[in-house]
Amino acid sequence: MENVLEIVDLKKKFRGFELNVKELNIPKGFATALIGENGAGKSTLLNILAGIRVDYKGHIRYFGKYEDGDRDKEEYRVRENIGYTGPGGVFLPHWTAKEVAEVSEILFEGFHRDRFEQLCSDLAISTTQDKSKKFSALSDGNKMKMVLAAAFARDTSLLIMDEPASPLDPLMRDKLCCMIREYLAEEEGERSVLFSTHNISDMENVTDYAIIMEHGKIVEQGFVEDLKEKYILVKGNAEDAALARKVLYSITENKYGFEGICLACRLDELAGLNVEAETPTLFQISVAIMKQNTVIR
Amino acid sequence: MILLQNSGEPIYQQIATQLKEDILTGKLKQGEYLPSIRSLAKDLKISVITTMKAYELLQEEGLVSAAQGKGFYVNAQDSEMLKEQHLRKVEENLMNAIAAAKIAGISRKELEELFLTLLGME
Repeated sequence: MENVLEIVDLKKKFRGFELNVKELNIPKGFATALIGENGAGKSTLLNILAGIRVDYKGHIRYFGKYEDGDRDKEEYRVRENIGYTGPGGVFLPHWTAKEVAEVSEILFEGFHRDRFEQLCSDLAISTTQDKSKKFSALSDGNKMKMVLAAAFARDTSLLIMDEPASPLDPLMRDKLCCMIREYLAEEEGERSVLFSTHNISDMENVTDYAIIMEHGKIVEQGFVEDLKEKYILVKGNAEDAALARKVLYSITENKYGFEGICLACRLDELAGLNVEAETPTLFQISVAIMKQNTVIR
Repeated sequence: MILLQNSGEPIYQQIATQLKEDILTGKLKQGEYLPSIRSLAKDLKISVITTMKAYELLQEEGLVSAAQGKGFYVNAQDSEMLKEQHLRKVEENLMNAIAAAKIAGISRKELEELFLTLLGME
């Protein structure tokens, strides 16, 4: 399997926090979700990968051939091939949609004005009213829509998106999922998407690979279908909770019963207990792993 | 294609089963290419890895093959294998009938008679 990004020994220190990624590969041709609590280091990692933050130690290889030192060399077109969207918006506050398009046209060779217009109308910010509004006057949701439209209107082979779903309503989250699938399908296997999200359930149907971060470190990663086989959701009666606790990764219990996640390979150890097992969702797996790695329970 | 989110059967399994049916009934013909993994994911509104897993399952069963850079195409289905597939289904159903007969306390002789009667009705 080819990788779009290969990261080795990436470090960035802040006061009281260190991002420390020993080795991480982002698979080429897929949508990868970066999952983790607030302050886990997701945005820092994405900013470094997108080339926004350059004060770090370590190595990043882009598209299987360009080192991070090559990122800004024009002839390699690394930046031209990466699209980025961030929370809060990346445009100047007084810009209107027209100016966003004009500036994007100057900045990026592969920006398609017609595609931008189309995306704006697909995302329901087509009304002339919204278009003449200054960026700063738009609602959070509409800000994100315009940022997404500008990013998807470019010809790129990697999209890095920091929390794209958070400010969007359910309808637009669904639309975002469709846009990601279309983006990937347009050039079979050649395009990749990396996004961070707290809206795991809404994005599950578009997530191929999941990376879970805690305290600046990667604590779990894998293709979603594999993770769903690695972990299993177990439910049982209250009287068995104490025994099950020894095997379960995370457990919640009340007087009626318990439920928790364990490694599928350890399910045998629960033999004899009256338990039911089912395939967990990515959300359930993520929460279990995050609970394991945090003090708040 | 009908995919159920809460049937307990994994989505990739559901896709594989339905494509398998299309192949065995000849709806998908020998040499024909399946839709590309990412376009099927787009159309079915599911993740790429789920479709990929469905295709890999079909490949393991020898129903399709992967062509480098061109996707998956339907293999020639030899009649021996088709017969084998159907034979397994018949066996499975007969086993079910035997199990049901045991529970109901139907004797071997009664069961045999029933089977012959049913055969005669064909």
